Amino acid sequence: MVPTILVVVVLALYPLAFSVAAALNDSSLGKPFNGWVGLENVESVLGDGDVIGALIRTTIYALAVTAVSVLAGLAIAVALDRTTRGGSLLRTIFLLPLLTPAVTVAILWKVILSPSGGLLSTVLTDLGFDGSALSPLSSTALALPTIALADVWEWTPLVTILLYAALQAVDWETVEAATLDGAHGRTLLLGVILPTIAGAIAAVALIRLVLAFKVFDLVAVLTAGGPGQSTTTASYLIFQRALQQFDVGQASVITLLLAIVVTLVTLPFVYLMRRAHA
Amino acid sequence: MDQTTKRTGRRSRAISALIATSVVATGASVGTVNVASAASACEGVTLNVLFPQPHQGAAETLIADFAAATGGTINPTIVPYDEVAAKATLDAQSGANTFDVVDTFYINVGALAQDGILMDLSEWIASDADLNPDDFIGSVYDPYSLNDGKRYGVPFDGDTHVLFYNTEILERNGITEPPATWDEYLADVKTITENEKANGIYGAAILGQKSPVILGSSYVNRLAGFGGSFLDENGQPALDSEAAIAAAQALLDVAPYALPTPQETAFDQALPAFLNGQVAFMEFWTDLGTYAEGPDSKIQGKWGVTSLPVGGDNTTPIAALNAGFVLGVTAATQKKDCALEFIEYASSTATNLKLITTTGSGIDPVRISSLNDPSYAAFNSKVQAAAATALNGALAWPTVPAAPKLFQELTDGLSALLDGQGTPAEVLAQVNESWKAELGG
Repeated sequence: MVPTILVVVVLALYPLAFSVAAALNDSSLGKPFNGWVGLENVESVLGDGDVIGALIRTTIYALAVTAVSVLAGLAIAVALDRTTRGGSLLRTIFLLPLLTPAVTVAILWKVILSPSGGLLSTVLTDLGFDGSALSPLSSTALALPTIALADVWEWTPLVTILLYAALQAVDWETVEAATLDGAHGRTLLLGVILPTIAGAIAAVALIRLVLAFKVFDLVAVLTAGGPGQSTTTASYLIFQRALQQFDVGQASVITLLLAIVVTLVTLPFVYLMRRAHA
Repeated sequence: MDQTTKRTGRRSRAISALIATSVVATGASVGTVNVASAASACEGVTLNVLFPQPHQGAAETLIADFAAATGGTINPTIVPYDEVAAKATLDAQSGANTFDVVDTFYINVGALAQDGILMDLSEWIASDADLNPDDFIGSVYDPYSLNDGKRYGVPFDGDTHVLFYNTEILERNGITEPPATWDEYLADVKTITENEKANGIYGAAILGQKSPVILGSSYVNRLAGFGGSFLDENGQPALDSEAAIAAAQALLDVAPYALPTPQETAFDQALPAFLNGQVAFMEFWTDLGTYAEGPDSKIQGKWGVTSLPVGGDNTTPIAALNAGFVLGVTAATQKKDCALEFIEYASSTATNLKLITTTGSGIDPVRISSLNDPSYAAFNSKVQAAAATALNGALAWPTVPAAPKLFQELTDGLSALLDGQGTPAEVLAQVNESWKAELGG
């Protein structure tokens, strides 16, 4: 009991209390509690279009990235599950992006996408196109989807490996019984196997969602939040306010707002998990 | 050596990659600098110094020379340049108090002073017989060290931008003189890009990544050129002035002709492009001159450098004090005497001269005597002439405690401008209003 209480206090209550206290004070990085300001920071943050924009952008990003990762991860996991030859080699290859540090992933994508001398630009130029004209990271419309692509590439292997493990735990007597009853192919997958691992899918989606909400390294290296504010996510904004502008008060308010948003968005996933396990 | 290299894509990493692995002493070697007094407070003392990564070469030189001169040991911690202030602050705020000396970007001095991280050095500077503060370059000294009437450090690296150009590309395109105005610059860049883009050659590299030191510097170069300023005589924001808007327009106008794309161009894209002969013009710190003649450069003997162009009614080149570093002593140090001895040593004429004549040190002149020393001129005459002109009068960035926030807001606005979200007048009016709110105007 005592260790549990300690864990809750150290990992949850203290940071929460610190954030709330810092949010209600004039808090710089060097002097976190420099005078009570009440809700001044909250009002300032709620009136800041950049903050609201970042929270909405991050939520949409996280949901989209989670959907794509889970669908792609599930498809790959099913394919791996049905692979009889070279399965271990394929699993190792699929894990490579996951083993690569996030900053390295970001640099890799930057090298691929650079319009002046990048891999993609060079290939396009060699094919007779204007490679320098393709610069997704400079485009308001394409920059965030491009970061999402890198994010999906990096984290889908985690989804894959977790869902593959869930598939391995499926009771094959049930599957065999369904097969004897005439279920095959898509019917077997959608009607028997996926419902069996629905709880695992919900759990994996929840993990992926939280990872997506936290996206920082890719943004920092690929775009620094630009062009304009088009890729400024909540985590990057918190970093800027706290560690570049030294305004810990505002950074704390944004952190608390992000915690509320993450809680609200993840609640349906928690519900699905419980329902699947019920 | 404790190194933190979490962030990449910055000037430091690019420079490190470009200058090979070792620091090469040049023909203008000054030898080991020995300016310390016989009775050193640093004998047997280990001093923890926080350096930005662009100063790694300087740190290596200082470690050896300071030990020889005083018997003291420098234990450097090297972090990305934009993390120095945060690291120093967190070190003090956490109670760890690891660092004795901090080598920080000067616009952070106000914030560090306000948070009690740096020691007030006013009395020491006024009373120290050997420091000779009158020898610090005038346009650098006050902006770098002065905050609210007190001095919190001594200049260490006098960073200003000048305009570098590739003589071969200019010659190929019939351009006989480097541009004197921003209009001429735009015309030259446009001509070169239109003529040579198909071969991967561009008129300019514009550092436009959304970071205050990168995009902010590119804008401030033009703001200075058009004779603008950040604040008016009453200390209120002046970013809605005619000069400020013209400066933003000049940045916007050249972007389509620059190395693609300005929004993605930071040090690690611009430097290789210039040193490989891929771009004709680049605004950069004066120490690029040493790299242009370095072993990794493909433009040795094919480059020139001049003052930044002017624009509007302004006819006098004015340098922008982009970046620039100060050595401060932490308020919590237990080794104050040695820390003071070290910053005096590191900012002395002899040390500054040695560092500015050492390839890869990352250090530019901070003293009149070193700037005008014949050995600096002999080491790199083109850069010396441009630096001397540039530092004659310079536009400093605001150093108030809110400066980091002000520059992030300006950078956000400029990034939006390059992204086509509004006109220069609209964007700067918005930034001006947020500056007013921040400064309580």
